Amino acid sequence: MPSYKLTYFNGRGRAEVSRLIFAVAGEKFEDVRYEMDQWPAHKAEMPLGQIPVLEVDGVKLPQSAAIARFLAKQFHLAGKDNFEQAKVDAVVDTIDDSFKGFVPTRFEKDEAKKEELTKKYFGEELPKHLQNLETLGKLYGNGGHFFVGKQLTWADLLFYTFAQAWIGVEADCLNNFPWLQQNRAEVEKQPKIAEYLKNRPNTPF
Amino acid sequence: MSTYKLYYFNVRGRGEVARLIFAAADQKYEDIRYEREEWVSHKSEMPLGQMPVLEYNGVKLPQSAAINRFLANQFHLAGKDNFDQAKVDAVVDTINDMISKYRPIRMEQDEAKQKELTKTFLADELPKHLQNLEGLGKLYGSGGSFFVGNNLTWADLYFYDIAQHILELDENIFNNYPWLKENRQQVEKQPKIAEYLKNRPKTSH
Repeated sequence: MPSYKLTYFNGRGRAEVSRLIFAVAGEKFEDVRYEMDQWPAHKAEMPLGQIPVLEVDGVKLPQSAAIARFLAKQFHLAGKDNFEQAKVDAVVDTIDDSFKGFVPTRFEKDEAKKEELTKKYFGEELPKHLQNLETLGKLYGNGGHFFVGKQLTWADLLFYTFAQAWIGVEADCLNNFPWLQQNRAEVEKQPKIAEYLKNRPNTPF
Repeated sequence: MSTYKLYYFNVRGRGEVARLIFAAADQKYEDIRYEREEWVSHKSEMPLGQMPVLEYNGVKLPQSAAINRFLANQFHLAGKDNFDQAKVDAVVDTINDMISKYRPIRMEQDEAKQKELTKTFLADELPKHLQNLEGLGKLYGSGGSFFVGNNLTWADLYFYDIAQHILELDENIFNNYPWLKENRQQVEKQPKIAEYLKNRPKTSH
């Protein structure tokens, strides 16, 4: 049985999809969380000076998507064969495309500019990507509520956690996307996820 | 017998890594290249209205990274087990982090501004990404010249392809990065790749 240690900030961010994977799989792991002032002392320990990092039997792996995909494959949440895994990857890439424009809106220091960027993102950019995600869900979902093959995969978990960040800023952003709303509702209903969501730390991000 | 069709523009761009993987694997495929004017009438045939798209046994798959990883897995160029595959993914994500900083500069229309941005990219941004990549190669490469585990994987092909764009900015860039220089030379020396590079169409990018 390998030992798993996940290191990140004390927040959901880019590590939460991996925490959700561990929760669904019922697998134990060391959930290391650094506060912002603790992190500088550990930066040099990480291969790219960044987190999240997953340590598996003492070997460090950076890059949140590589980590999540590895864990999903370990615990059969990645798709049932190579082509299904590719469909899952395509959905994940499309979720990433959706999220790219969101990050600058959060870090903009000028309040007026931040409001403008945020309005543009939620008004023009995000809807296009959400449309694409609904298209993929209907193309690959075999008529079910999950993105690929009628089964929960890490694509559903990634969408769940990133969408939470969007909803935190703009509560109505999924109102025109019933398929995506239903997808998130299905994820929340999974017993191990419901349990995890009830008990996880409440953090600002 | 599985059938593979790759749809892209008549350039290297985001389609070339797939072509390199097919070449390394000596696998037949239909290499469909649309000129810009042709593309307009085919856009609605693609799941996300974008290319590249891989059609595998009649089913379409968008997103270049998902396509590349799928093909690498089909032809044993992805890493020998789940953890090696994760290391390959981490290298690929790190290459992506590097090139994502450069792509916006290429889109800049103002020539003077583009020259300034390129200068800043080369001086301030690029070195840390190349250092990170050398770091990963030494961490995962088992003492060899390939990024992961002493075997050619799609991470090496991806770096080979992206580096060509970087070399157009500074042809001597890898003189300061001997590990990366050797890595590219080892890729070029592979007989099937050498053959492919000699015969492929010459395109602007």
